[in-house]
Amino acid sequence: MQVTLLTIMEVILMPIVAFIIGLFMVLMMRKLAARLQRRVGPPLFQPLFDIVKLYGKQTQISHGMIHDIGIIMAVGGYVAAEALLPVPGMDGIAAKGGLITLAYLTMVPSLGLALGVGQCANPNGSIGISRALTSMLAYDIPFIIVIFGVAYQFSSTNLVDIIATQQAGGFSTWGISEMPVLAVAGLFAMHASLGKQPFEIYIAPAEIATGPMVEMGGKFLGGLFVMQSFQLYTASVLYVSLFLGGGENWITFLLKSFGVLAIPVVIAYLFPRYRTDDLVRLVWKWPVMLALIGIAFVMN
Amino acid sequence: MNQLDTLLLISLITALISGLGRRHQLIGWATAILLTVQFLALLSISSLGYGGTVIESAVNLTILGQPLSWRFDGLSWFFALITIGAAMASSFFAAGIWAKKYKKHGGNPGLLQFAMSLNVFTMLVLLASGDLLSLFIGWELVSWASLLLMVLAGGIATQWGLRYIVYATAGAMSILAGIGIIYHLTGSFAYADLAAAASTFSTTHVVVLSLLFIAGFGVKMGLLPFHLWQAGAYAETPGPGSAFLGAISSRMGLYAMLIVVFQLIGLGKMIAVEIPFTFLSLRDLLMWVAAFTIIFPTYTALRQNDARYLLAWHGIGQGGYMMMGLLLLDPVGSAGGLLHVFNYATNQAALFLAITAVVYRTHTADLNRLGGLVNRMPLTFLVLLVGIIGLAGIPPMNGFVSKWLIYRSLIIEGMPLLFVATVIGTLGTILSVYKLIHNTFLGQLRLEHEHIREVPWSMLAPMLVVATIIFITGFMPGLVLDWVASAQAALGFTPLAYTLGGVETARGSLDMIWLCGVLFGGFGVGALLFYGGGNKAKRVHQLDNYAGGHFLTADTRYHYSNNFYAGLMHHIGGWYRGTFKWLESSLISIVSLLSGLTQILFHSYHPALFLLITATLSLYFFIG
Amino acid sequence: MSNTDLSNIEVNQKPVAKRSNPFANVFNELVSFCRSRSMFMLHYCTGCGAIELPPAMTSRFDMERLGIQPMVTPRQADILLITGYVSIKTLKRVILTYEQMGAPKYVIGICSCTVNGGMYWQSYATAKKLDEYIPVDLYIAGCMPRPEAVIEGLQQLMAKIKTDEANSWKKYYEHYDYYLGNQQHLFGNNWQTPTDIIGEAKTYQLEGPNTLGEHTKILESVQRPLEPLEMKL
Repeated sequence: MQVTLLTIMEVILMPIVAFIIGLFMVLMMRKLAARLQRRVGPPLFQPLFDIVKLYGKQTQISHGMIHDIGIIMAVGGYVAAEALLPVPGMDGIAAKGGLITLAYLTMVPSLGLALGVGQCANPNGSIGISRALTSMLAYDIPFIIVIFGVAYQFSSTNLVDIIATQQAGGFSTWGISEMPVLAVAGLFAMHASLGKQPFEIYIAPAEIATGPMVEMGGKFLGGLFVMQSFQLYTASVLYVSLFLGGGENWITFLLKSFGVLAIPVVIAYLFPRYRTDDLVRLVWKWPVMLALIGIAFVMN
Repeated sequence: MNQLDTLLLISLITALISGLGRRHQLIGWATAILLTVQFLALLSISSLGYGGTVIESAVNLTILGQPLSWRFDGLSWFFALITIGAAMASSFFAAGIWAKKYKKHGGNPGLLQFAMSLNVFTMLVLLASGDLLSLFIGWELVSWASLLLMVLAGGIATQWGLRYIVYATAGAMSILAGIGIIYHLTGSFAYADLAAAASTFSTTHVVVLSLLFIAGFGVKMGLLPFHLWQAGAYAETPGPGSAFLGAISSRMGLYAMLIVVFQLIGLGKMIAVEIPFTFLSLRDLLMWVAAFTIIFPTYTALRQNDARYLLAWHGIGQGGYMMMGLLLLDPVGSAGGLLHVFNYATNQAALFLAITAVVYRTHTADLNRLGGLVNRMPLTFLVLLVGIIGLAGIPPMNGFVSKWLIYRSLIIEGMPLLFVATVIGTLGTILSVYKLIHNTFLGQLRLEHEHIREVPWSMLAPMLVVATIIFITGFMPGLVLDWVASAQAALGFTPLAYTLGGVETARGSLDMIWLCGVLFGGFGVGALLFYGGGNKAKRVHQLDNYAGGHFLTADTRYHYSNNFYAGLMHHIGGWYRGTFKWLESSLISIVSLLSGLTQILFHSYHPALFLLITATLSLYFFIG
Repeated sequence: MSNTDLSNIEVNQKPVAKRSNPFANVFNELVSFCRSRSMFMLHYCTGCGAIELPPAMTSRFDMERLGIQPMVTPRQADILLITGYVSIKTLKRVILTYEQMGAPKYVIGICSCTVNGGMYWQSYATAKKLDEYIPVDLYIAGCMPRPEAVIEGLQQLMAKIKTDEANSWKKYYEHYDYYLGNQQHLFGNNWQTPTDIIGEAKTYQLEGPNTLGEHTKILESVQRPLEPLEMKL
């Protein structure tokens, strides 16, 4: 009973922590972009201002119940996923789900969003979703090979075990030193999964009017901003858990996860975007090739 | 006369009654209720699903000196449960108001009910078979019974049905050849004799027998490259019939394959068989066949523009998962494969019934002629949503659990490429089911669909029940894993150690109860944020939409549906070459050319000579 | 034009009832503050003024440090920037775009053309005064105004939003009849947008005595129904 209560406490606390860290990640992303473009960038609390303002809009429009439920699923799915992602001192229900479950659970928000966008009856939104699902098909293949490699290397799909093994052995047992090729492929796949340049064809503001977000205003867009901060957090913390030994304590944990996220963000703002078919071709070529080579090393 | 005989007898009576009374108005309800009685009779032997011992039928026949016997074990019970369950859902669905409309459009609902109950009876006979001979009899009965269901609609359905029966006959020949060889080797049709003798078979025998049986049973399963008949044959059947066929019919191939190839000949031996000039064993080859059975039909489904065809193609693809899981041979993988039979059946039944409901209201299943129906048919939408989440294998529905077991096993066994292949299949499924739900239920509601309503309760109730089963068995997979474990035991696998919420192993577990709890907790938080924060949203008309300042009008269709994954198809579109269709048609051409040539020679030159040659060759074949 | 000129009339501010709960007031102030510090703008680049916006956004002047970001669709935006002359054909789109934005929403007219037609004063096809058709919060005059002026103007708007004074969007709901009348005068009596302003005003209690009138009656008589698609069982 004691354990259950503790678990429930952790499950409640972990999404809150994730949200706060995620907000700072959004800030870091925007700040880095600004610095790369020689701008000052937004103030410290800008992500929070945006969300509060969006929720505080006086009039809100909805295209129907599924539009609402889509936003609920988009936020709720990530809130649930955070409970499966261990942070220093809190494991939540990571042992009851594991790596594969987490990978599939993070599809729930995307599916929810896709449903919500679908009901908006806006062709821009539908095109955006079709592109988003296509790019998911592209980056999930290297991602899943990487997950296989890690699970095989540590002979476990339990994230708690994977992190514990890496921390027990020190840097030489970290995923990144045991399987450097997979780590590179994983970074590539993670970058593509963030939906930032050059992989943001499904947002394409000038072309399909931000695709999935086209009909989202007020708290609908606010929900998506919340989702974005969760998304950045999930991607970087998952990468840290798989390859960088997780967090021994909060300081290293934050350093690692912000550091990992900085890499794709810095790359992102230097490139224009790929067309959908070019994206698929690129992602199916390089990261998949790297991941397969990495797997070959791991399996021997 | 024991409980098994009672079950079979009730099933026969159901088929007879619905056959004789097929013109009567109430025959639909009568069949549905009799199917429920069958279900209860099946439940009376539910001990089989919880590790009970085999029940032998009291009926024993001897034909040509060979005893014929029937029995039920855990595996048969598991498949019978799905069969009768699927038939019940379809039969109740078809019994009420649906039948009236079907009749008005020239169909005969009684005949449909008869065909379904006949299918159930023949399937039970097959599932109960106790030796190779009764297996073959059951197999043929099932083949012809499903043909009846397939050709009901007439027209194009007949063509598909004929195509099916050509494949099925070829498959049956292959099975017959296999049984013949076994009889030649062991001198008996009994399972026990075969199992005993299998250990002495030479490698050649093992290879030839397994290939013959896998090809024969694989035809029914839609295993690559014998899959071309299936999609059309299932899709063109009248709605509830599609649901029944799609849910269970092709799994009979899997069942027979499990009995003969996995259990009796023994898959263990196939690992030992190396294919020359490759690194593959025979089992690896079969696993790759399963992997391609997952990928190719799934991506063919992605291109379909007819909802029924889309689902039917997925049916072929999902069969690959079951095959893959079972070929893994370990407790986790085989449990995943068997569990997927159940999960997939529920998903497919829900999906086909939902699409049938859409067709009932809109008279079309063309994905380019629908859209926005969620506002008019919300409960059907819910059923379809639950179904697609299950089919795509996303938590919290049951499809996720079985796929998780298969993935987990592939990781443990260290098979990266097959793992990737299964995931590619899953991703393709996600893409195409989104297209399905988007093009039918989301987006713009067309002018001509403004006034349609939700389908009546007689159709909704079975759909909702199936959807509930999908959710509950996803929430507590232990309920089904009970039956799966006994089926595994009956097959000779080590049963999976399971809990109510899933699986608990040292290095990676799954607890769906916690997972669902957290997921719905998360949704709760999301709902709280959404409804609690910010003003209440006002609903707007679908024409109040951003179109770059353009004024939308109802007569302009702006639903994005055609060529939905244009970007992807730009890249992979060229990969759809129709190789299998080309193979099929070239085979047909060769056969017809040969037969034509022979006929010409036979007729115009020396009939007597050719008769003599044919007779000599046949004699040589049979005697020599 | 039959109506009185409303452009100088203040909104008849219903005094915001100071709620007894001090937290509620703090909350309201927080929301106003966030509104002023996070402005998503939709720039409807109708004329030459648009050319001054990129420098205002990019590294030289960097609007993002003030929390101002460009957005793409009216649903997401708070500010509508009209950056030049508005032809009658364009005006229809401007009105639709404005009506699709979520309130509170603000309109900024940039360049002289939005104030009085500017050099298009004699054009038969140009709307002269933008605020006859939609309420404008702020004009930034000039032909064209420099980025410094644009940012200066945006900062003025920020100050107004922070103190809850930028309320001209309420004027559109409260005096809808007046705006609709001007629109009908220009586009004819068949004029309508697919948005439901009256319904919105009713839902959010933004109606005033002048929301409905003779012009809305004309609208009702020609309007195609706009009821949302209710979920039906």
